[in-house]
Amino acid sequence: MSILHVTLIISMIMLSICLLLNAIRFAIGPTLPDRITAFDLFVANIIGIIIIYTELTDNEDFIDVAMVLSLFGFLGSISFAYYIMKITK
Amino acid sequence: MAGTIDWVLVKEIISCVFILTGVIFMLIASIGLLRFPDFYIRMSAITKGATLGLGLILLGMGVYFNQPGVMLKVLAIIGFTSITAPVAAHVIGRTAVQNRISFWPKTNLKEFEDYITKEHLEQPINHDKYTEDIKEDIRMEMGGGDDADNG
Amino acid sequence: MKLLLIHIVVAGALIYAYFRQPGALIPYTALSTALLFLLLIIFLWVSSKFYNRSYYRKLPKLFYFLLYFLKELFVANLKIAYDIVTPHYRMQPTLLALPLNAKTDLEISLLANIISLTPGTLSIDISEDRSVLYVHTLYVKHGDVEQLKRSIKDGFERRILELTA
Repeated sequence: MSILHVTLIISMIMLSICLLLNAIRFAIGPTLPDRITAFDLFVANIIGIIIIYTELTDNEDFIDVAMVLSLFGFLGSISFAYYIMKITK
Repeated sequence: MAGTIDWVLVKEIISCVFILTGVIFMLIASIGLLRFPDFYIRMSAITKGATLGLGLILLGMGVYFNQPGVMLKVLAIIGFTSITAPVAAHVIGRTAVQNRISFWPKTNLKEFEDYITKEHLEQPINHDKYTEDIKEDIRMEMGGGDDADNG
Repeated sequence: MKLLLIHIVVAGALIYAYFRQPGALIPYTALSTALLFLLLIIFLWVSSKFYNRSYYRKLPKLFYFLLYFLKELFVANLKIAYDIVTPHYRMQPTLLALPLNAKTDLEISLLANIISLTPGTLSIDISEDRSVLYVHTLYVKHGDVEQLKRSIKDGFERRILELTA
């Protein structure tokens, strides 16, 4: 167990707590845009988890997954926003 | 071995510092998402904190691997997130204003009144209308205020 | 500013060609590659003094703009983090109507994106005649709205106008 290993496991745990808090906001969010914000933060947290997993396993192939996810999360939140704008008009 | 520096250890420590700072920023952002009182405050405060935290975590990984290809991908991801995050925030915020989501009562709206009157956004609408209306309809069909139909 | 893209491509191609040959003296790591890249960009920038004076003047301004923006990003993030972890809110949310000097599409979208990217401010919409940008902001010093507007205009808008002029 080196310093790096301990740090990575601690940060993994902290990011999991982040996911839990986001899930609470996703559940109780009073309005729909609140839920989109929570979804946006979800994607950012998951990219962080992928990055830390990459460093933990020393396998650099997972970076491509993070790159694709960073683009598709944007598409997801934009399309949800347009959807809400359409249905509530 | 006095006087020599273990460069691998230095690299790991720099990477650790970056990653811990980024993760702490993300944790604070998530706590703020739960604590702040209003949608607009959450939106403007939180998403950018997550972007900064993500950038720091990515830089930490780039320092650890220390390969030009990985560093290029890291810079690409930082560029993507920092271009797309403000666009998404702007679109969601504009959607919220157009849908008349109410502001925090302490918000100073003095300079925004022109916009509100021009776009006819004066009265806030009920955003639980899907659940409420459907319940009303069901209640009407069921014939009278039966609240015990949860099963 | 197109010249910067051309310079980046030229520097990347030179570095790639250098590391492809077998007996390269410099170790192939991220740090050495980044230093080599910076060195090449600075060399190309100095050489541009003889054929493109406006690029020669603008690149340091771009550099200072990036530094200023990173500083603002960190300071605003720390402010909001302090507000999150302490129990009382110190914020005073305000909606500003920011009069714009920027005219073209590029300038307005750059300004709106950079305002959105700093924590605490969020650009909501632009008026029909593109003269006013509505900004939702969290911290107003002593309730002085005019001073905050002036600081945004002096800080971000003036620098962007200098860069794209």
